[in-house]
Amino acid sequence: MLTSLSSGAIYALMSIALVLVWRSTRVINFAQAGQAILTTYIGYEAVTRSGSYWVGLICAVISGALLGAGIDRFFMRPIFKRVNSGPIVMIAPVVATLALLGIIQAVIGFIWGLSYQIIEAPISTDGLNIFGSIIAFSPFNLMVLIAVTLSMILLTILFQKTNIGLALRASAYAPEIAKLSGIRVDAVRTLGWALAGAAGGLAGMLYIPGSNLYPNAMDVLLVFGFIAAVIGGLDSLFGAVAGAMILGFAVNFSASYISYKLVFPTAFLILILVLLIKPKGIFSSSKGRKD
Amino acid sequence: MIRNTRMKRFSIVSVVATVGALVFSTLPAQAADPGVSAKEIVLGYSGPLTGSAGQVYGKLPGAMKAYFDHINANGGVYGRKIKLVVRDDKYLPTLAATQTTNLVLNDKVFALVGALGTATHSKAYAAASLAKKNVPDLFVNTGFSGFADKAKYPTTFTILPSYAMEAKIMAKFIKDTPTLAPQASFLIAQDDEFGVDGVNGFKLAGHTFAAPATLYPQGGLSAALAEGALTKLSAVPGKPVLVLFGTTDSTATILKAAEKLSLVSKFNWIAGSVGGDANTLLALGVKPATINGILAASFFPDAKDATDSYVSAFTSINTKYNKGVSFDNVVLQGMNSAMLTVQSLRAAGKNLTRTGLIKAIESKGAGFASAGLVPLNFSGSSRVGYNGYWFGQLNEKGELKPFGGKLTTYTTDSSSTSAPTASSYERKPVPKNGVPTNS
Amino acid sequence: MLKGSATKKRLFGFIILGWILLLISDRIGELRQYQGAFVAMYTLAIASIILLTGYSGQLSLGHSALMAVGAYAGALSINNFKLHPVIALVIAVLIAGIFGLLLGYAAARLSGPYLAGTTLALAVSLPTIANQFPVLGGEQGLVFDIGTPPARFGEDFSQYQWFFWISCLSALIMIWFLVNLLSSRYGREFRALRDNPTAAQLAGLNIGRQKALAFSLSAGIAGLSGGLLVMLISGVSPSAFPLSLSFLLLAGAVVTGVYSLKGVIIGALVLVAIPEIAESVVSRIGGSEGFTTSLPGFMVSSLLILAVLFAPNGPGHLLHKKSTLNIKDNSREGNK
Repeated sequence: MLTSLSSGAIYALMSIALVLVWRSTRVINFAQAGQAILTTYIGYEAVTRSGSYWVGLICAVISGALLGAGIDRFFMRPIFKRVNSGPIVMIAPVVATLALLGIIQAVIGFIWGLSYQIIEAPISTDGLNIFGSIIAFSPFNLMVLIAVTLSMILLTILFQKTNIGLALRASAYAPEIAKLSGIRVDAVRTLGWALAGAAGGLAGMLYIPGSNLYPNAMDVLLVFGFIAAVIGGLDSLFGAVAGAMILGFAVNFSASYISYKLVFPTAFLILILVLLIKPKGIFSSSKGRKD
Repeated sequence: MIRNTRMKRFSIVSVVATVGALVFSTLPAQAADPGVSAKEIVLGYSGPLTGSAGQVYGKLPGAMKAYFDHINANGGVYGRKIKLVVRDDKYLPTLAATQTTNLVLNDKVFALVGALGTATHSKAYAAASLAKKNVPDLFVNTGFSGFADKAKYPTTFTILPSYAMEAKIMAKFIKDTPTLAPQASFLIAQDDEFGVDGVNGFKLAGHTFAAPATLYPQGGLSAALAEGALTKLSAVPGKPVLVLFGTTDSTATILKAAEKLSLVSKFNWIAGSVGGDANTLLALGVKPATINGILAASFFPDAKDATDSYVSAFTSINTKYNKGVSFDNVVLQGMNSAMLTVQSLRAAGKNLTRTGLIKAIESKGAGFASAGLVPLNFSGSSRVGYNGYWFGQLNEKGELKPFGGKLTTYTTDSSSTSAPTASSYERKPVPKNGVPTNS
Repeated sequence: MLKGSATKKRLFGFIILGWILLLISDRIGELRQYQGAFVAMYTLAIASIILLTGYSGQLSLGHSALMAVGAYAGALSINNFKLHPVIALVIAVLIAGIFGLLLGYAAARLSGPYLAGTTLALAVSLPTIANQFPVLGGEQGLVFDIGTPPARFGEDFSQYQWFFWISCLSALIMIWFLVNLLSSRYGREFRALRDNPTAAQLAGLNIGRQKALAFSLSAGIAGLSGGLLVMLISGVSPSAFPLSLSFLLLAGAVVTGVYSLKGVIIGALVLVAIPEIAESVVSRIGGSEGFTTSLPGFMVSSLLILAVLFAPNGPGHLLHKKSTLNIKDNSREGNK
């Protein structure tokens, strides 16, 4: 059960990233998994050259932020500008982010090849010895939990207690009014993407040391992160985290007690149930906002 | 009304045209087999190059190609150079089906060599109509006993001992070893024909496991699953025997899970031949201390045994033609199959046809030179290649040393309940310079 | 009446196309027959997406799952119920259609990203159910044998030509049916649903039912294409329906022009041609394994982005400058 905390934490990072972009741009960024894995490869390069995991982590987070901002500024914005009429408007962003995901993964294949790489964890991944028995929870798992909790605290402070956070929230809720009050909505939106990108980079560096690094390594996280975000309600950061934790537990429960083969169908069932009962997510704000 | 008449007229015209086309598209006389010309023989390979299985078996086609390059540099096969077309199927049955079909239709290969994977190749064989087109399917890289069924797979020759054979020999080994026999035993296997073949083999040998086999989907063994399975098994008293019947990447996942839970010394590990390649396990991150002591079966000499004549011959070919790739059991396997292929092509004679190739292996295949320490069993009625194993123990360096010091090979079959028997087979000497001169 | 002659013309056109395909099938060689069968299959799959997304405005990323439902239904019919392969294909359509109906009702309340995500989750999870139930064959999958060509066609009538005939015939029939449907009242209702659901509701349309209906039809067509796909690979298994298939189909639909069935074959041709083109590029300029494997995906994704940027309403519209779709979408709230 403890491992579900750790996996839930990583899903939380991905769902936070998705929610951040959704709130600022009303787009589901399917390329999130691609950005995250690319920044993880950058982190991998940094680790290999410097010999230090922490250097790699910092590089991944920073490059994640830069990449996220870059994608908003130089990819999404031109697309929105060009595609502004006709029914294509509805699906263009989805299609564009999916295509971007494909391009990123292909480019990774070009540059790094498809062999599995390994990023060593900075601390032990062996199970902890609690009262004489070994549990499937390692110091590294603990580090993941701490890192994610810290990030969430930082983000919450940012959103609730700072002016920038206020600007972020305002631009998401009411862009016209925000513009009128002098908030540079475009810049703020790019900031949202940058934060999302950073979260993805962090997620990658926390996830990969337990498994292997290859271009499709985080595809599963995209699906789970998305489901978590939707369960929690796309408009709520807290919901994103809560949804991720719920999903993490459900997935582990189903894997251990029902059948590992039914992990994905379980996730799907939860998703459908939540959407049937509360179509906008468990923790969605009932502020009567139209979709 | 006009339209109706027009339609009627058009219909008549098109019927006539169709019939005419059918009549006049005269079919060409029986052409020579595709893939053979005066200068060249085209062979095809479908197997995983990428994906998790690709990490382990991706080296295989490169090894074959290196050997073929060596032969081409030494006159080829009666002057024809061998060209190997390689297609990646990521160990997925669907991709294997389309890629094999492409090899036959698109690349027009003369024969397939070394197709890898049980589920993959059984799908591919059907999808690509290999039987109907009489495409020779040489030395498939899978131990599924069903491929030796001549009625179902008329153009296929196996090379690896079947999983059923391996299971029977493993069962005998467990029974005969005093430290293993009294322990409870468990099986973790891949959930397809590969794993099921193994389960059946143990049944034939009369071996009972303490619990039903844990089956996992091919390519779907996650760390969490492995951890869960091992945690459950850790409650069993004594030092249970754990038989791992899966590909090397899955074996690695299980072993790493054992490391995490500090359960390595809890079990007597037996790794199946497919998943027991020590070098790959080490490359996938398993610690040397974990590998030390694992029991494994093999029918080859150890790839690191430089004193073996075949190993040293292949190693020098590898160094020359396959730069950058370290020589291990996968490379050994590939080159051995390539050498058997060249001998088969030579035995079929200068007038090379698909039927001729198949007949040549049937009549002369049992006498080919090969690195295997067990006999080849090709004949008019048998498509079975190797049929035995010897048992060894891995050390920290990943070398497989004979268990108990003396190397004894055992041979058996895939379908009867009779116990394996010790074999006194002696290999043919390795051809000079690694270039066969048989006919 | 106007409607009558348009329908007759359409039928005529389809029959002509059928004859042409029949004639050329002899002369093109097995490889092209094989590829042609794939083109027909993709055409159906892309048409199903065009119906759902282009005409009724519901974005689905889960069509690979719908294809899987049809495929497994077909395989089980042949293997377990010993039914004739043609009946199996019909069953594939029906079962997939029923599944789509249920899904459609469940999804009717969902819009935009919620629908996209749900269908994504479906695409990922449905194939894995096959691993749980032995009757579905697990990872190994089930055999799907459409049977050999009838003896009266002669010894040299290849299996691939038979595949070609079956695929093309199924595609022709289904698409003809679809085209007729879309030019009828149903088509108009779907478009109303897509462009302005509030107005449609005010005009008396039952939104939920319409959405479910569109889903059901789309699923049925996808089910048929799923059956054809597994016919071509002689077996159905979970790995035949990865998430990337859904993405591929969406790409094909966007490249064709997701709002019209005209030229749907082009999208299918593109999908089949890209791996070939990638192969010839690689054989010309060489490249590492990573390059070779990743190139087709790169090409598809780039094509998709280019299509979104420069021909969002399909290449057809690129040709005639006048844009027939002048519907301004005032509620520019991104995904809907």
